[in-house]
Amino acid sequence: MPRLREWLEIRIGLDELVRSQLTDYRVPKNINFFYTLGIVALAAFIFQAFTGILLMFYYIPDEKDAFQNILFIMNHVPYGWLFRLMHVVGANLMVAVVLVHMGSVFFLASYKKPRELTWVVGALLLLTVLGFTLSGYLLPWSQLSFWATTVVTDIPSAFPLVGDLICKILRGSENVSGITLNRFFALHVAFFPFLFSSLFALHVFLVRRIGISAPPLDSQEPEEWKQFHHEGHPDGPSFYPYFVSKEAFMVIIYLIVMFAIISLAPALFIPHDARIPADPLNTPEHIRPEWYFLAPYEMLKLIPNRFLGIALQLVLVVVFIFWPFMDKSQKTNILKRPLMMATFLVTIMVYIGLTIWGSH
Amino acid sequence: MQRRGFLKLLTSILGLSALGAFAYPLFRFLLPVEAALVTKNLSIPKGEVPVNTTKDLMFGSTPIIILDIPDKGYLAFSKVCTHLGCLVKFDKDRQEFICPCHAGTFDLEGNVVSGPPPRPLRKFAVRVENGNLVIG
Repeated sequence: MPRLREWLEIRIGLDELVRSQLTDYRVPKNINFFYTLGIVALAAFIFQAFTGILLMFYYIPDEKDAFQNILFIMNHVPYGWLFRLMHVVGANLMVAVVLVHMGSVFFLASYKKPRELTWVVGALLLLTVLGFTLSGYLLPWSQLSFWATTVVTDIPSAFPLVGDLICKILRGSENVSGITLNRFFALHVAFFPFLFSSLFALHVFLVRRIGISAPPLDSQEPEEWKQFHHEGHPDGPSFYPYFVSKEAFMVIIYLIVMFAIISLAPALFIPHDARIPADPLNTPEHIRPEWYFLAPYEMLKLIPNRFLGIALQLVLVVVFIFWPFMDKSQKTNILKRPLMMATFLVTIMVYIGLTIWGSH
Repeated sequence: MQRRGFLKLLTSILGLSALGAFAYPLFRFLLPVEAALVTKNLSIPKGEVPVNTTKDLMFGSTPIIILDIPDKGYLAFSKVCTHLGCLVKFDKDRQEFICPCHAGTFDLEGNVVSGPPPRPLRKFAVRVENGNLVIG
């Protein structure tokens, strides 16, 4: 090891790199566990990539074989059930982690100047994660995946002129078919991983370039940002080992939750209709999307005009992405901003309320 | 031992144990699945292999060749050359199996006659049952 270290030191200046990026890099002294969720999301992505590659060893994206492959993986491949459940449960946990991460960034006002771009890239990462889950949902070719994808890919058809065209491009045919399965498989294993990795690299670059924002709740309001400088925290603890150990602890918690679900409630994310092969001639009753899409799904049901419902959701997504450019206030402590606090709480309550409503 | 050293050791042991616990399932997952490989036997109508002819078939995932040789009866061999896995062809005139990749040759018992193959061809049992050839 010392020789390898010396070899790298001569070539890439390892010691200086470790010092500047890890041991001498300081994080805010009042940093809390919400700040570790970004790394937990990255760890979740790595676990998903790992288990996804393993599943590809046996999975064939073909309408005749896909469902039987899944059964084969679950019932015959040694520990196939383990890696598939890790992938299924991990997908749901990853969405939850990214949602909580975004919520905490919003609550702590970390999106404010100069970090607007970091927020925008983060919001695009959330949409990418949702794209991952949508494209992966069809792959088992079950009744649930087939009809949920039929509903989702039908959504763009509400728009005049280009709606039907978008719908056909997504499906690759008039209706969801084997061609759709191939398209979604390509998106799931080639396009979204590339997009996610690129956006994540940009996200981390922005976080490191600008500096980690200090939690505003027990500190003074920051001075106005007039020109670029790295926001350092010379009085804070080191990134390594102090913050990295916190991150590692949270990743372990993530794994404990994942394996607790796999052990105690393995069918939590695999409902009855997900265990029946797709039947293009028979729509099952009470088909519902995954829990994180229940709120928009219920909203679509409540708004009688389909175009209006979908257009409203698109507007909400755009507002969500560009929120830092709408909230111009200099104040970062949400506890001193009752209107913002109310907006935050009402949004969360509406989301949870619609999710519960949608699940019944 | 100091507290920091003890914690490092404990974390390393726990981490390696967790990784080790994953190693076995991963190894088993990557091994070929027996259920997919095991083909107990294969049955085809006897008339599909007339005397002095051959027929190529898949036995599970293994390509095999069946022959009906007047003095020897029905024979079945794996077509996979034991040298580097190319598929052998039956030469009717020479009454030998020849590998097109490196010219390895095998006789009608599957034994190596010449060339680099290290082992004979894998032989399958063939029996006649109710007008069918049962292989395996």
